[in-house]
Amino acid sequence: MEILTESELKYLKKKLKREPNRLEKEIVGAQWSEHCSYKSSKKYIKLLSKDWKGIIKGPGYDAGIIDIGNGDVITIHIESHNHPSAVEPYGGAATGVGGIIRDIISMGTMPIALLNALRFGHIKSPFASNEISISREKDNELYSYSKWLLKNVVRGIADYGNCIGIPTVGGEIEFDESFTNYCLVDVAAIGFGKRKNLIGNIIQEDDIIILAGSSTGRDGIHGASFASKELAKENRSAVQIPDPFMEKLLIEVTKEAIEANILKAVKDLGGGGLSCCLSETAANLNKGFEIALDKVPIKYHDMEPQEIMISESQERMLYIMNKGNFKSFAKILNKYEVPFAIIGSVKNHKNLVICKNGKTIAKMPSHLIAYAPLLNRNSRKPKYIEDLRVKKISVKLPHDLKKTFLNMLANPTIAFKYWVFQQFDHEIGLRTIVKPGMTNSAVIKLNNDKFLAAKLDGNSKVCYQDPYEGTLSCLSEARANIISSGGHPIGIVDHLQFGNPENPEIFWTFQKSIEAMIDFSNFNKIPIVGGKVSFYNETKIGPIKPSPVIGMLGLIEGMTCISKIRPTPHDTLYIVGITSDDMGGSEYFQFLNGVTGGTVPKLDLQIDLINADIISRIIKEQLISCSHDCSKGGLSIALAEMAMGSHCGINIDLDKVPNNCKRVDFLLFAETPSRFIIGTKNEEKLEKELSKYKNLKYSKIGKVTGYGDNITFASKNKKIIDIEMELAKKYFESISSIMENH
Amino acid sequence: MYLSNYTNQAILLKNKEFNVIVTIENKSFINDPEGETIYHDLILKNKYNNIKSVRTAKVLKLIVNAKNPIQATLSVKKMCEDLRIFNPIVSDCQVNIISDE
Repeated sequence: MEILTESELKYLKKKLKREPNRLEKEIVGAQWSEHCSYKSSKKYIKLLSKDWKGIIKGPGYDAGIIDIGNGDVITIHIESHNHPSAVEPYGGAATGVGGIIRDIISMGTMPIALLNALRFGHIKSPFASNEISISREKDNELYSYSKWLLKNVVRGIADYGNCIGIPTVGGEIEFDESFTNYCLVDVAAIGFGKRKNLIGNIIQEDDIIILAGSSTGRDGIHGASFASKELAKENRSAVQIPDPFMEKLLIEVTKEAIEANILKAVKDLGGGGLSCCLSETAANLNKGFEIALDKVPIKYHDMEPQEIMISESQERMLYIMNKGNFKSFAKILNKYEVPFAIIGSVKNHKNLVICKNGKTIAKMPSHLIAYAPLLNRNSRKPKYIEDLRVKKISVKLPHDLKKTFLNMLANPTIAFKYWVFQQFDHEIGLRTIVKPGMTNSAVIKLNNDKFLAAKLDGNSKVCYQDPYEGTLSCLSEARANIISSGGHPIGIVDHLQFGNPENPEIFWTFQKSIEAMIDFSNFNKIPIVGGKVSFYNETKIGPIKPSPVIGMLGLIEGMTCISKIRPTPHDTLYIVGITSDDMGGSEYFQFLNGVTGGTVPKLDLQIDLINADIISRIIKEQLISCSHDCSKGGLSIALAEMAMGSHCGINIDLDKVPNNCKRVDFLLFAETPSRFIIGTKNEEKLEKELSKYKNLKYSKIGKVTGYGDNITFASKNKKIIDIEMELAKKYFESISSIMENH
Repeated sequence: MYLSNYTNQAILLKNKEFNVIVTIENKSFINDPEGETIYHDLILKNKYNNIKSVRTAKVLKLIVNAKNPIQATLSVKKMCEDLRIFNPIVSDCQVNIISDE
């Protein structure tokens, strides 16, 4: 396998004015992989606005830092571990969690919550009889592989988070055939700390560099370049084994050292190992490092220098400090029995110098290593997009809407994820206020009067048909979730996952996704504080669908502002927003009818913002008792979730719903954004408030009945869906039985 | 129906029982944090300095009905692969027969 492309090698030679040796090529190769260098995407990421009030660190750092006042800061970061998880789901997912936690502690904050967004191929659901499961009856092996991935990814995330005592508070899962034999595992971590404790990142000549944690082995070699290749050409040695107990010790060490004000710079070792960690740190801090490679604790005596430099052994951290502080730091490390070594010192020359037994074996400017030559990728609008938009689609109006509705509830993408989150310790730390399950977003307590709402959202089906509108929908959905919980958005993180960027059509979808991010962020004035790009997500059957995952954080000022989705008996239900029949990319079309095509919902940024603002206001004024956004599965699913969440029946009159749908099934399942369902016991006051907004579309659509009553939808004075609560729950909770019969 | 049951039983009677041991361990170049912890925190701390390394593994002890040792081994191997009892990318899986009583 060639480490560098021909033109990269030429560039390197020109800059070095000599031939690089093998070690130098390996170091540069690890850092210049797409995974570490962002060489295809950096130009576009730079277009994101950076100057936001309250944002201490934005995109480009280990984690984004948001100032929330009173000297407190929130840090957030999102990363994926797709390639490793697809071959070793347990270890891949677990080490993904480990990596993201180290990013949070590198900033000087302590992790308080984890979230995940997972994508898999279809799993077989005997409850949902849809077109896909009928046509795929023969593909039992694929179903069982997806199930195996799901089972082990969830177990990996759960075991790691549970072992170190950080709650996994929320997430989302999508199933789609483009992830067959593959999976997307995105994990986000949230940190909380004091502004005064943030790592200063100012270093001086002769400061010492300490490597602590696990010793360096051969695991994960070429991991970063593995993540930058299609899976078919993978190097199967890129497997990483988690050790959460070592991670826990590193968290404690870092916490104590921060409190003792010992650390000048901290960096975690992730993709690309020492190569990336050292070159990026040296370049960012504008200094040079001199590293004695023979001082690095290694597992095997016969490890080659290049293996030590690019090994991705987990649970390692790099610390830089004044020589004078070494004794007190060593005392902390010894107390926790964390292995460590002084591996070098800071120099003013701005080079990364690697020595072994006193001899220099590699020497290159750290800037040269850290900043790969950026690429100009070609882009072209894929032909399929226009074809799908104009494609003639025929979806029969179902005879039995009750059956259709139950099938939608059992759709694994929509169904209740109890089987998943019951494996996560979501309460440890005692901060979790709104727990996983039927919620808008997770809510965690920061201090006595501040709460944080957090949510991850993605929708590859819509993004495939229109990456711009699809990304906007994800952003709108994430915001709707934060708003429905009672928060005001304070930051966005994104994880943009695509196929091979060398394919101009795939690169075009990436560009459109970034454009949507920029437009949404600028229009709504919500800063993008960090993110990640993952390319080359391809399997033998082709590229994955474009899968941007959006994470959003919202601040809730006070316990009374936290809104829940559970209504109480006899609430009156309202809908805010208009339903239109753009069914392209909907779960109803794709999952139930096996139809790809049609126009996707178009987001009107202005209406989206106004609706969100109104919901935010009425929650603050305590005019409503519950709120929920309409997303996957549409209006009927959102209402059913509310009903099942509180075990109360509902009577809905569909004729009252503001809409321009041609058919009743479209009205039930359309995924039009910018819609909210709210419940109140104070109709008069609520209507008075809502009527203040001239162009606002809203309507009273029904009532919550008593505990255990039926879920009913009526149209033209006829009940078209009338389902017993227990039956609806049986379908909605079917994932548990699918997974336990494994 | 009776006949086929009878035949199955006849086969079972003809077969022998084998004690099969399945050992699943991480490949040699892959980390083993559990083994390392046992080595550093237990063995070395208690000064058993003659011990140079520890690797952990998972062991399954099976009693298998089969015609002969080869069939016993093959059927267990197939079962381990079918049920994904180990991930071949991470672990080695050894199937051994310890006796044929």
